[in-house]
Amino acid sequence: MCVSKVWSGILACAAVGGLMAAEDPVQFNRDIRPIMSDTCFHCHGFDAKSRKGKLRLDIREEALKAGKSGALAIVPGKPDESEVIKRLFSKDEDEVMPSKESHKTLTEAQRQLFRRWIAEGAVYEPHWSYSPLKAPVVPPMPAGGRNPIDAFIGAKLAEKGMSPSPEASKEKLLRRLSLDLTGLPPTTDELASFLADTSPEAYEKQVTRLLESLHFGERMAVWWLDVARFADTVGFHGDQNQRIFPYRDYVINAFNQNKPFDLFTTEQLAGDLLPNTTAEQKVASGYNRLNMMTREGGAQAKEYLAKYGAERVRSVSSAWLGSTFGCAECHDHKFDPIKSADFYSLESFFADVKQWGIYATYGYTPVPELAGYNNDSPFPPEIKVTSPYLVKRDAELRAELQTYLEAAADKLWENSKQKEAYESWLKNAQAFLTAHPDGWLVPAGQYCFKAGMAVPPKKPAVKGKMEATAKVTDVKDEIVAFKEGQEIKLQKTPAKGQEMLVELKPRAMHLTALKLSLDEKVAAGTKVNFGLALSVRDAAGKERKLALTMSDASIKTPKHVSGAEVIGIANTWSCTTTGKSEAAVWLLDAPLELNDQDTLIVSLDVGQALPFKLAVTDLATGEPLSLLDTAELMKLTQHPTESVLKAQWMLSSPALRAEDKFKTLVARIRECRRGETWSMVTEVMAPLTIRVLPRGNWQDESGPIVLPATPSFLPRYQKSTEQHRLTRLDLAHWICSAENPITSRTVMNRLWQIYFGTGLSAALDDLGSQGEWPSHPELLDWLAVQFRDHGWNVKNMIRLIVTSRTYRQNSSLRSEYKDRDPNNRLLASQNPRRLEAEFVRDNALAIAGLLNAKDIGGPSVKPYQPDGYYEPIQFPNRRYVASKDNEQWRRGLYMHWQRTFLHPMLVNFDAPTRDECTALRIVSNTPQQALTLLNDPTFVEAARVWAEHLNQKPGTLAEHLTAAYLQALNREPKVKEVTSLTTFYNEQLKYYQANPTEAEKLLQVGYAPSPPTLTPELAAFTEVCRVILNTHEVITRY
Amino acid sequence: MRPYDPIAHALSINRRTFLTNSAYGLGAAALACLQPSLLHASPSSGAAFSKGVLKSPNYPVKAKRVIFLCMAGGPSHLETFDWKPLLKKMDGQPFPESFTKGQQLAQLQNTVLKARGSFVDYKKYGKSGIEVSDLFPHIGGMADDLCVVRSMQTEQINHDTAHAFFNTGSIIKGRPCMGSWLLYGLGSEAENLPGYIVLTSTGKTGLQPISARQWSSGVLPSKYQGILFQSKGEAVHYIGNPQGVCQSLQRQVVEEVQRLNGYLAEDTVDPEIATRIAQYELAFKMQSSVPELLDFKNEGTKTMEKYGIKEFGDGSFASNCLMARRLAERGVRMIQLYHRAWDHHGGIEDGMRSAAKDVDQATAALISDLKERGMLEDTLILWGGEFGRTPMGQGSGRDHHILGYSVFMAGGGVKAGTTYGATDELGYRSVDKIVNVHDLHATMLALMGIEHTRLSVKYQGLDVRLTGIAGNVVKDLMA
Repeated sequence: MCVSKVWSGILACAAVGGLMAAEDPVQFNRDIRPIMSDTCFHCHGFDAKSRKGKLRLDIREEALKAGKSGALAIVPGKPDESEVIKRLFSKDEDEVMPSKESHKTLTEAQRQLFRRWIAEGAVYEPHWSYSPLKAPVVPPMPAGGRNPIDAFIGAKLAEKGMSPSPEASKEKLLRRLSLDLTGLPPTTDELASFLADTSPEAYEKQVTRLLESLHFGERMAVWWLDVARFADTVGFHGDQNQRIFPYRDYVINAFNQNKPFDLFTTEQLAGDLLPNTTAEQKVASGYNRLNMMTREGGAQAKEYLAKYGAERVRSVSSAWLGSTFGCAECHDHKFDPIKSADFYSLESFFADVKQWGIYATYGYTPVPELAGYNNDSPFPPEIKVTSPYLVKRDAELRAELQTYLEAAADKLWENSKQKEAYESWLKNAQAFLTAHPDGWLVPAGQYCFKAGMAVPPKKPAVKGKMEATAKVTDVKDEIVAFKEGQEIKLQKTPAKGQEMLVELKPRAMHLTALKLSLDEKVAAGTKVNFGLALSVRDAAGKERKLALTMSDASIKTPKHVSGAEVIGIANTWSCTTTGKSEAAVWLLDAPLELNDQDTLIVSLDVGQALPFKLAVTDLATGEPLSLLDTAELMKLTQHPTESVLKAQWMLSSPALRAEDKFKTLVARIRECRRGETWSMVTEVMAPLTIRVLPRGNWQDESGPIVLPATPSFLPRYQKSTEQHRLTRLDLAHWICSAENPITSRTVMNRLWQIYFGTGLSAALDDLGSQGEWPSHPELLDWLAVQFRDHGWNVKNMIRLIVTSRTYRQNSSLRSEYKDRDPNNRLLASQNPRRLEAEFVRDNALAIAGLLNAKDIGGPSVKPYQPDGYYEPIQFPNRRYVASKDNEQWRRGLYMHWQRTFLHPMLVNFDAPTRDECTALRIVSNTPQQALTLLNDPTFVEAARVWAEHLNQKPGTLAEHLTAAYLQALNREPKVKEVTSLTTFYNEQLKYYQANPTEAEKLLQVGYAPSPPTLTPELAAFTEVCRVILNTHEVITRY
Repeated sequence: MRPYDPIAHALSINRRTFLTNSAYGLGAAALACLQPSLLHASPSSGAAFSKGVLKSPNYPVKAKRVIFLCMAGGPSHLETFDWKPLLKKMDGQPFPESFTKGQQLAQLQNTVLKARGSFVDYKKYGKSGIEVSDLFPHIGGMADDLCVVRSMQTEQINHDTAHAFFNTGSIIKGRPCMGSWLLYGLGSEAENLPGYIVLTSTGKTGLQPISARQWSSGVLPSKYQGILFQSKGEAVHYIGNPQGVCQSLQRQVVEEVQRLNGYLAEDTVDPEIATRIAQYELAFKMQSSVPELLDFKNEGTKTMEKYGIKEFGDGSFASNCLMARRLAERGVRMIQLYHRAWDHHGGIEDGMRSAAKDVDQATAALISDLKERGMLEDTLILWGGEFGRTPMGQGSGRDHHILGYSVFMAGGGVKAGTTYGATDELGYRSVDKIVNVHDLHATMLALMGIEHTRLSVKYQGLDVRLTGIAGNVVKDLMA
């Protein structure tokens, strides 16, 4: 029998099937079940509703019974008496199986196989992935084998008369290992030190180094975030932003800390239910919140809750159980023993996850907790957490600001007049602080109400476009005076829109900010609302508006724009008091010299009659809230250092405050929010009632109510009772219990795929009967047992895999084995593997020396993206602004993940939108990939920056090419490559010499600083770098 | 420039190593769980789009390409193609509960339901006498080419999921959309362009977002995805050369990349290299052909007037219609135009007048233009939204409605000058010859020569199909 012919037909699993030799006894799981699953089970399987002829073939006892016709389908040992064989070989169109309607056919060889199986006794086996997990016997270690993986692989190769490939060169090995373990290429130094290390354990040392690298966690996060369907947006309809990046940090850290996989599982599914739950565990429970959500008007809460619930079942079962529960939403699974009840019982575990079907409160669907929510609002429940990345960035930016201020001061210092100005400023500032130890003067003044005035406009007055404030002469109401230090006590709440005018007389000072404060006497829970505008009137009665900037308050009612909390306050301060003293601070856009005759006019829109104080200061600050920090202010008088003083002096300078660089730095500091951020989490609510929905119809309430229960077809079945409802914690424990055979198989299979390009079972997301019988079932079981029995230790399993001989082989495919093993599933060589989308980016930026790899974790960033890409997104409209500072060159895994419009570079290189759990990324090879590498500014910029780096070292073109190849590919260029690239370079150079302005244009692509001189030579070499970054070898790990 | 033919080079590599279609390679290995059920010809990764998996058509091929004019937001059938005099008579009166009881509503949940008659009149057009509302005089003028279906039903009542259902036949994520199915099954005839292209335009009101998911290839390889032509900025992402790089320099870059990849293939056995070489060649061809495609110079003012285009390439629906014709001429398999303008919960009178003005003339122009060029007979045009709108009023508009609405087809083997099916007397529910979305898909595939149950892909153990386990070909829609 020609085996390869048998399997090259319609079978999904041709590659593996091809391994069977003619003389082997037929194995049900390997040989027969795939055929039955594809052609028989649809009508003769688990699903009672679609069963025909009362014949069921998936269970041996049933298959041996007589069907409706009375004939015996299978008679063990007697194919000629078996109805199945008769039907398979029948020439009668009405009789033949598979039936005509099924559009399926079997090959002659498949029919013969069936016959032989029955002749050999028609022995059934339980489906491999559901069978109990026992450690298989490790075959004898082959010569040159390094660990049991090689024993399993070697045994099969030997059986087929094949031999493994020799070990890859050290250069190739380190590149492979670095890309596989960290997603980054090795540096030339790392390569040099590996090449110099001649110790027998040199390779193992590299494995250890890379497993300890913080980039390991980043690499593994890409793997897990697909499965966890992590994204920055909610996915449905308006696809609004959601706040959950701390979950990504959690995943990175979990891999870096080598968190045991069972704990990793528990924290994500039930972190909120653990005793003494930590903030980290709560963040981990955000996993349950990563389903797509909607805020679409007209959506029905119940319908969407059903959608969310169903998605969770699909995602959890795919992520941990490698099973496709999806079909069971509507009916019992046709091919696997997954029943509809299993689907809804699994959903029932998550019925307590607090979430709203529709994240808005529309007239037809009021949700009290979401009152006031709009398209800019976040998606609670969330918690506030500290982001280490933001804390670090905040400190770095503050240091940068300090350096900037000192440098500016030093520059002024050279001018003796400025020195005098400095001294006079210092004297005043210190005197002010001595007189007002909290940094604020509450001036005397008077106030009155003006009827019928317009409320201040909604836009902040930063640009100085306020309506002219009323003059006091317009005032009709009574004028009330107050003394210095005294608070303003209103007798009655002003009418809506009735403007209050306060005149302050602070006398001569250097005015930098205004404060409005409430003391702790204001009862907790009071709703506070102040609108404010500021102007100044001189002795001649001339009045002018003062622009305010960067206002903030110690406490405020949050407002949101596109899901993000607005930083600070605008001209309106709203809050609900907590029984403490609170204050809002408005900075003047430009500090102002007031003289004795000047009057400050504060126009207030007061929402309530509360006693409050207005205060002014002449102390300067980068951001408003520092002015409420007395300790910070005291630095001016108590042991001031020169650097503090210089910085303070600069901050009080209107000229410096007007500078873009200053404004940008301060804005970035404020965006760090002192390291505080939010993350969606799981919070518990009273569980929703979960029913089996007939045909998945959410409006049908006729199905039975189901309580949480583990899948009925898997070992150690657990179900709730009326008295004891199982929780997500129980589910998590069951998933990683010793008796559950499928979790460790699923995870090990997916892990294997990272290092060999294909899983041991290629169908990473379906280990059920429609999936693929593993190429090395014993090896998969052995790995799964190791994983389960030795602490669910991910790093150890990876170490085991990458230190095997199998992994270390050459990756050039073996032409001589093309027929015996067409897809290299027996691994007589390594497989080349194109890098994942994120690493295509990281690799290019790393080679170019442009990658910002020092930062780990943090919010998503926005690399260059084609203009107008988000135009079809609404509610709210989205504007994509590419990150400008070093966030532009962060790693791909931090890219903003917009589910409905994923970044085109990611799309083009096969990254999933993560609408749902994605266990397997299809690897495509398309013109879009070529266009991206050729023309995406990210890659063009990388080429020009890399060219500049390479050219900084003096040398010939050939030397530069060698340096480039060592950097990009860890090898020297071949002679023909040098020859070819030299010709290419000269042609390009000719053009750029003739067109120097074109050279300049090319050398200015992107935000990275351009080199000081933009020469045709550098442009031509940039083109060389573009070519190298576009080669297949660079984006492939060999 | 040195004489160098990358394709010839790639082929010579292939000869030295394996045949182009050898399964020996990673691409095939990764696809092991994704084999087409009807694997007659493997979707060769080497030749970009040229071949589909269907070796021969299941039915006579009537249409070679589809132009889907998607009226996104859900136009009211009651003011387009479904004239309901009784509804008009009942305008403002309570809507009979016998119709609405137990049925799903969107924003009209928990409100008093009142009938809302059409605010426009209808006329009979052409020999066929098809009734079309006064908002669409130009489309009416093409009545004898239209095949109007007045008995549509869908399953999803919100925009996002309804689009997903209308494009993929399912709301489960990862299901390929119709354009991807067509590419997968039939391949592409466009040599230098993607085989499936999407354009969008917007009206003044009634806008709803559209997700790129709607043209995703889902579980099919990404080469089958729709490519969005942007109305602003570069038409195709990364199609333009970097600044400071002219076309001839770019050509040199591509050739040099090809050469280096060729060198790699000499020492390394990896079939993906040959594929990469072919893809770079195609990418460069696309770079060269897209500017030509976008260059409307030779179209002339007559065409401009016919379509009602103010400015070529201005991102309007009219301009996109002309682009659709140009794409059709170049062999693009599926062309999908979204006009986001039809979600009229309020202000339906002004909103629909404005949206109709956006599309009426251009739609008619596209049909007649194709007809004049002899292309209408093998181009299947579909005009319609993701759902219809309620015969009950919602303030000054109408809510979403899924139980009955209208679409029309033209060209591509459909029965011209006919109407099919009907809703009840109030336009609430399709009652006669109901056509659900799966039936429409099955029929469209049939016109393309595909038996819908036979175009499938194995994914997670299932034979995934555009029509799921449903769908009946509506033979009466076919000529």
